[in-house]
Amino acid sequence: MVRCKMAGALVSALVIGFAGVNLHQALAQEETPAAPTTKHKDAPVASVSQEQLSGAAGDENNFLHTNGNYEQTRYYPGKQINTSNVGKLRPAWIFQTEVKESLETTPIVVGEVMYVTTSFNHVYAINAKTGEAYWHYKHKMGPVTTYCCGPNNRGVAIHGDKVFMGTLDSKLVALDAKTGSLIWQTDIAEPELGYSETMAPTAVDGKILIGTNGGEYGIRGFVRAYDAETGKLLWNFHTIPEDSTGVWATHDATGKDMHRDIEAEKAALKKLGDPYKTLGGGVWQNPAVDLKSKRIFFVVGNPSPDLDGSIRPGDNLYTNSLVSVNLDTGEYVCHFQYIAHDVWDLDAVSPPILVDVKNKDGKSVPGVIHAGKTGNVYVHNRDDCSLIRFSEAMVDQTGMWSLPTPEGTPMLPGANGGVEWSPMAVNPELGLTYAVNLHQPMTYHVESSPYPGGKLWLGGAFKVIPGSEQFGNVTAVDYNTGKIAWQKKTPLPMMGGALATAGGLVFTGEGDGWFRAYDAKSGDVLWSFFASAGVNAPPASYNVDGKQYIVVGAGGNVQLDFKRGNNIIAFTVD
Amino acid sequence: MLQFPHFVHAALFAAALLTSGSAHAQGAPGIEEKAKLCATCHGEHGIPINKQTPVIWGQNEGYLYLQLRDFKSGSRKNDLMGPLAATLEKDDMLALAAYFAKQKWPNLQQPSAPDDVAAKAKTAAGSVGCPACHLEHFQGDGSTARLAGQWQDYLQATMMAFRDKSRGNNPGMSDLMKATSPEDIAALSQYLAGLQIDAYLGQGR
Repeated sequence: MVRCKMAGALVSALVIGFAGVNLHQALAQEETPAAPTTKHKDAPVASVSQEQLSGAAGDENNFLHTNGNYEQTRYYPGKQINTSNVGKLRPAWIFQTEVKESLETTPIVVGEVMYVTTSFNHVYAINAKTGEAYWHYKHKMGPVTTYCCGPNNRGVAIHGDKVFMGTLDSKLVALDAKTGSLIWQTDIAEPELGYSETMAPTAVDGKILIGTNGGEYGIRGFVRAYDAETGKLLWNFHTIPEDSTGVWATHDATGKDMHRDIEAEKAALKKLGDPYKTLGGGVWQNPAVDLKSKRIFFVVGNPSPDLDGSIRPGDNLYTNSLVSVNLDTGEYVCHFQYIAHDVWDLDAVSPPILVDVKNKDGKSVPGVIHAGKTGNVYVHNRDDCSLIRFSEAMVDQTGMWSLPTPEGTPMLPGANGGVEWSPMAVNPELGLTYAVNLHQPMTYHVESSPYPGGKLWLGGAFKVIPGSEQFGNVTAVDYNTGKIAWQKKTPLPMMGGALATAGGLVFTGEGDGWFRAYDAKSGDVLWSFFASAGVNAPPASYNVDGKQYIVVGAGGNVQLDFKRGNNIIAFTVD
Repeated sequence: MLQFPHFVHAALFAAALLTSGSAHAQGAPGIEEKAKLCATCHGEHGIPINKQTPVIWGQNEGYLYLQLRDFKSGSRKNDLMGPLAATLEKDDMLALAAYFAKQKWPNLQQPSAPDDVAAKAKTAAGSVGCPACHLEHFQGDGSTARLAGQWQDYLQATMMAFRDKSRGNNPGMSDLMKATSPEDIAALSQYLAGLQIDAYLGQGR
């Protein structure tokens, strides 16, 4: 509280003084902002066709999607780098960005050009062979940026002759892929209400698909499609329907009792009405696209406020759910809710993957799989979203679904999971999916407060238990049986994501700086590289002039406070 | 009694503004003129007149704007700032926020916390996750305040005001401070006040 004691007369004088000054004219004298793109030379990139984007799963040369392909398997089809030679992998080049902060970008590669993004929405186009910069775009950020978990950005989408990025101040920008100049910019939603973007968009059929952050701020979440040519909104899907109450499910998807007080909630519903307007439900990661059925599949984040369920009665649809909507219209098709009325922030964030799976009868069917913050991998029927099976728990779940209390109640997994936003990778030959896990004991605290108009609204706190042991895992799960095939412990909780390759490898990085290649079958570590900053970004791979590269960002992470850096590192076998 | 070296100057300036007729008639004073009024408490060179008045020079733009907005709406209560903010429109608030965000954060010459205090503070910060919003060097960004190098007394008072909800414009912060002990808050305010982070600023923003 300001204790500047002044005479009442002077206060009045100041008030009148303020009122008498016209700031609008002062604004006109502001200098013209510098152009946001610095171009050294044009990036020699060809237009990217829809056919190329659709065929990405079989494309060894390019890496066209944040998660490899529309199915999001993160499975690179080339074998040049494989279990027999990965031991000789060495840096081919290291590119240093201007931004030393949380780095979560997946590099996108088209021909010889690589696009990477940084915290605070810079975009670089660099030479994928040499690491030399073509151009550098720096987004002109508005004053209000509301983000819970770091100013990071997960990458661009590419389509035709443009690259697209979502920004911390909730805008969608389209840049010329050759020159980096800004072509159009669209406001997505109001930053003052808690909306922002850290996810990479997805480009398909002339549409740019994007979700939103804000589950910690009382937003009403959405997935939208914008026109790639003009930036106009094509359709909006509310992740929170006006009737959000659902079926009053008392058990989670794995059958554990969530200790809901249904009677109390029903009474609260009578008093408060449906909480849909500020119920949260952000979408943190790319949707998977099924081109055959013209449907997209995405997972929805937590309800707002995270920990206090007393003021948001009901199942809180479609938070903590797998959802499928029509690609062309955004119309609802089906959903499956993992946790109804979540009060632990164990939301669905890791991007879903489309892959054929064995159903309960052993028959191969189109499936969708997702790694939950809960620590289980869920396997669904693609046609109706129904659950086929869930995997063995990848992490300790002691005390799961203990209700938060004012003094704090310990529970595992901690509020970061399980599995955080990190994408899995799939090896379809082996029927294995690879997830990176966290073990972080926390106490869950609950406090009730009313909707704060766009400010942080957790309904309590999650506290890391000081002195408790923390670690991570790399886990290979057989999605046809739900069994864990192998698991390797890591000294730190994992955040970043995995890449699987047809060379029988799985690549993933760790917060202390190690970047490793694992044998996809056995989990043996075949190669390690120390990057000197947290490797907390999803890796990618591509081929230029007949040579395969592995590339990953090493810039640390703000949410887990891993050592920051500013490097993009590309590796080859000499 | 507190010394206000600028008290008389400010009073005379404001009086001059009142008596000189419409500001428009003489050409509207630029934003620097408006900011001089703020200097009355927040300091002519960015060093506030007392330790209970926060540094605003070099504070993050979105945060400054939101505080002015909240003072006006009353969601943040303050007897001085309330009436002052009431005279501002949104454009004024944005312009003032942009102006002060561009200034250099002054060095208040507060000592670095001793090792044991720093260790306690860092553990507490890691426990509730302060860096997730306030970032690695507590420099904040956008709507999140810079904490590093702020007055220790102001940090202490603010954290406690969040804790007992007397500062009402961020329930999320109130929850996090409720989950933090007063001993940890004392260590945090001493640690944050003593941070010198000039070397880490401008990392790409």
